[in-house]
Amino acid sequence: MQIEDFLLMRHEILLTLGILIILMADLFRPHGRESSFSGLAIGLMAVITLAGLLPVPQGSLFGGMYVSTPLFTLVKNVLTMGTLIVFLQAHSWMTGPLTLRRRSEFYILLMSTLLGMYFMISSGNFLMLYIGLELASIPVAAAAAYDKFRMDSAESGMKYILSSAVSSAILLYGISLIYGATGSLYFERVAAFYTGTPVQMLAFVLFFSGLAFKISLVPFHLWTADVYQGAPTGVTSYLSVVSKGASTFVLLVLLYTVFSKIALLWQPMLFVVAVVTMVVGNLFALRQQHMRRFIAFSSISQAGYILVGLAAGNQLGMSSVVYYILVYVCSNLGVFGVISAIEHATGKLRMDDYNGLYHTNPRLALLMTLSLFSLAGIPPVAGFFGKFFLFAAAAQQGMYVLVILATLNTIISLYYYLLVVKAMFINSNNTPVPFFRTCCVTRTGLVLCALGLVVLGFAAVVYQQMFDMSFGL
Amino acid sequence: MDVPVHFFLMLSAAMFFIGVFGFIIRRNMITLLMAVELMLNAVNINFVVFNRFLYPDYFEGFFFALFAIAIAAAETSVAIAIIINVYRKIRSIEADDVAEMKH
Amino acid sequence: MMETIQSFMTAMMNSVSEIFASADLTRPTWSKWIFMALAGVILLGSVLTVTSRRILRAATFLFFTLLATAGLYLLLEYEFLAAVQLTVYAGGILVVIVFSILLTSHISYRFDPPPVWRVLGGLVAAGSGLLLTICVLVLTVFPKGVAAPAPDMQQVGNALLGQDVHGYVLPFEVISILLLACMIGAIVVARKSREPEASQPDKTE
Repeated sequence: MQIEDFLLMRHEILLTLGILIILMADLFRPHGRESSFSGLAIGLMAVITLAGLLPVPQGSLFGGMYVSTPLFTLVKNVLTMGTLIVFLQAHSWMTGPLTLRRRSEFYILLMSTLLGMYFMISSGNFLMLYIGLELASIPVAAAAAYDKFRMDSAESGMKYILSSAVSSAILLYGISLIYGATGSLYFERVAAFYTGTPVQMLAFVLFFSGLAFKISLVPFHLWTADVYQGAPTGVTSYLSVVSKGASTFVLLVLLYTVFSKIALLWQPMLFVVAVVTMVVGNLFALRQQHMRRFIAFSSISQAGYILVGLAAGNQLGMSSVVYYILVYVCSNLGVFGVISAIEHATGKLRMDDYNGLYHTNPRLALLMTLSLFSLAGIPPVAGFFGKFFLFAAAAQQGMYVLVILATLNTIISLYYYLLVVKAMFINSNNTPVPFFRTCCVTRTGLVLCALGLVVLGFAAVVYQQMFDMSFGL
Repeated sequence: MDVPVHFFLMLSAAMFFIGVFGFIIRRNMITLLMAVELMLNAVNINFVVFNRFLYPDYFEGFFFALFAIAIAAAETSVAIAIIINVYRKIRSIEADDVAEMKH
Repeated sequence: MMETIQSFMTAMMNSVSEIFASADLTRPTWSKWIFMALAGVILLGSVLTVTSRRILRAATFLFFTLLATAGLYLLLEYEFLAAVQLTVYAGGILVVIVFSILLTSHISYRFDPPPVWRVLGGLVAAGSGLLLTICVLVLTVFPKGVAAPAPDMQQVGNALLGQDVHGYVLPFEVISILLLACMIGAIVVARKSREPEASQPDKTE
C-alpha cells in the first residue's frame, strides 16, 4: 500500500488504530485502578476529526470495493464530529458510578459502528455496503442494552437487534435479486444494467424497505420509539443523529448513482413515504411526555423532511440533504446534550420536569430553545436554511404538492416544539430542576452545538462548498 | 444440472416468506430469531443459485453467501446475549411480557 | 382492465409451461429426485419451525432445514460452502440457540397458540409477498450462463486475499473487526456483574 492510499483511507485506518489503542489501554491498565477512557476516546476522535480536515484526494482502491470522493470525506467528517460531541456529552455518564467496570467497551462499540458507517459510505460494492451496514448496527444493539440494571435498556437492545436482523434479511433478499438481475455486485456494473425490469423493481423495493428500517421511515418505524426511550441517552443521541445521518446519506448516494435510471419509480415512492412519515411522526410527537420518546417521533418526522429533498433528484437536492444532515446533527445533539445534562444531574426525563427551567438554568434553556427552533425551522437559526433548501430543491423539480404538504407539517411540528419552549419559559413549577453546573467537558459539547447552529446559519461558504461537490441525476 | 433455476428461486422465496410469516405470528424471542435465520438462509440459496446458474465466471454470489453466513453468526451471538440478559431480569422470554413501555 | 389481467394471465401460463417444459419431468434423473427430496425437507422443516408449539422441536426442525440447505449446496457442487453451512450454521448458530433455549425455557413448556387475527395478518402479508415475488420471478427470463467448474480451494483462497477486482481482502479485514466488536458487545451485555445494583433503583423490581 502506498502513501496516497493511506491518505485516501485515513479515516478508516486511524479509527481502527483508535479502537485498538483503547482495547490495549484497557487490557494493560494497572490492576485495581479504575480509569475512565473518556479523555482518551475524546482525544482520539479529535485527532481523527483534524486529520479528516486535511486536503482531500479522490480515488478508488481494492478494485473498486472502496471509493472516496470529497463529498464522502465531508460527510465522514460530519459524522466524526457528531461522534465526538456524543462522547463529550457522555462524559459525565461514563465517569459516574453506573458504568463502573465497563467503560472502555462503550467507546469501542460506538467507534466500531462509526467505522462501519465509513465503509458503508465508501463502498463500491454491495458486499461492502452490507458488511458496513451490519458493522454499523449490531454493536449499537449491545450499546443500547448497556444499562444492565434497567429493564427498558435490555428491552431496547432486544427490539433493536431483532428489527435490525429482520430488516437486513429483507435488504439482503433485495441485493440477491439485484445480483440475479444484473449479474454483478459492483455499483458501476449494476448501474449500467439497471433499466427497470419487473424483477429489478421488486429488488429495489425490497432493498429500499431494508434501508427504510434503519432510517426509521414509516411504515418501518415501529421499533424507534421504544428503542430510543430505553437506551441510555448517549446511545440514543448517537442512534438518532450519527446512525441515521449515515444511512440517509448512503440512500442518497445509491439513489443518485446506482438506481438513477429508475428515478421514475422511486420519485413517487419517496413522495408517498415522505408525506406519511412526516404526518405520522408529527401526530405521535404531539402527545408524548417522555423526552426521549418525544425526540424519537420528532426525528421520524425529520427523516420525512429529508426525503423531500431526496425525491427532488437534482444537484440542489443532494447538497441540501447533506447540508440538512449537518444542521440536524448540531440541532439534535443540542437537544440531547441538554436532556442528558438534566438527566445526569436530577434523573428527570419528563416534559413536566422542564417547567420553569429558564428561571433556574437559563443557559441550558436557551440552548434547548435554539436547537428546537432549528429543528422546527424558525428563521435566524441554521435549521431554517436547511429546510428552505430542501423545499427549494423539490420546488425546482415542480413538486409543489409535496412542498405544500411539507410546509403544513412544519407548522404542526412548530406547535409541539413550542410546547417544550413554553414549558421552560412560561409554565410555573413548585419543584423546578435546581440550578447545577455541568462539568467542563459536557459544556464544551454544548457550546460546540450552539456554535454550529449559529455559524451554519450565516456561513454561506459551507453550503456553497457542498453544492459544488454534489451532482444531480 | 437439469433442474431449472426457477425451481430453486421459488423454493428460496417460499422459505423466505415462511420466515416472514413466523416473524409476524410468533412472540417468543428465540423463535423470532429462528425465523430470521430462515430468511437469511433463503437469501444465501438465492446468491448461490444465481452464481452457479447464471454468472459462473466470477464467484461473487459465492463469496457473498460466505460473508453473510459469518455475519449471521455474529448477529445471533449478540442477540442471544441480549436475550439472556433480558431473561435474567424477568425470567421470561416472551416478548409480550417485556413490553412495559407502551405509551 | 380485463384485457390487462387476461394478457397477464396468458403470459403467466406461458412462462409456467415453459419452465416445466425445460424441467422435462418425464425424464427423471438423480439430480431431480435429490432436488425434490431436499425441497420437501426444506419446505416442511421451515413451516414446522415457525408453527411448532414446543421451542426445542422448532430448533430441531430448523436443524433439518439447515442440513437440507447444505445438501442443496452440495448438489450445486459448492462443497466448501456446504461445509461452512454445516459448521457455522448447524454446528455453531444452532448449538448457541439450543443452549439458550435450555437456559431459558422449560422442556415441557408449550406456547399458547397465537391469536387468530395475528395468524390471519401474517398469512395475508407473507402470502401476498410470496405471490408477488413468484409472479415476478416466473415472468423473468434469466440469461443462460455457461456451465463452469465450481471454484476449487486454491481459487477461493486467492480471491479471499486478492486486492484487485473480484478480490475480497477488504471485506475480509472489515469482517474481522465486525467479529471483534460483536464479541465485545456480547460479553459486555451477557457478563454477570458484581456491582451493587442499589446505586439506581430499578423500577421493575
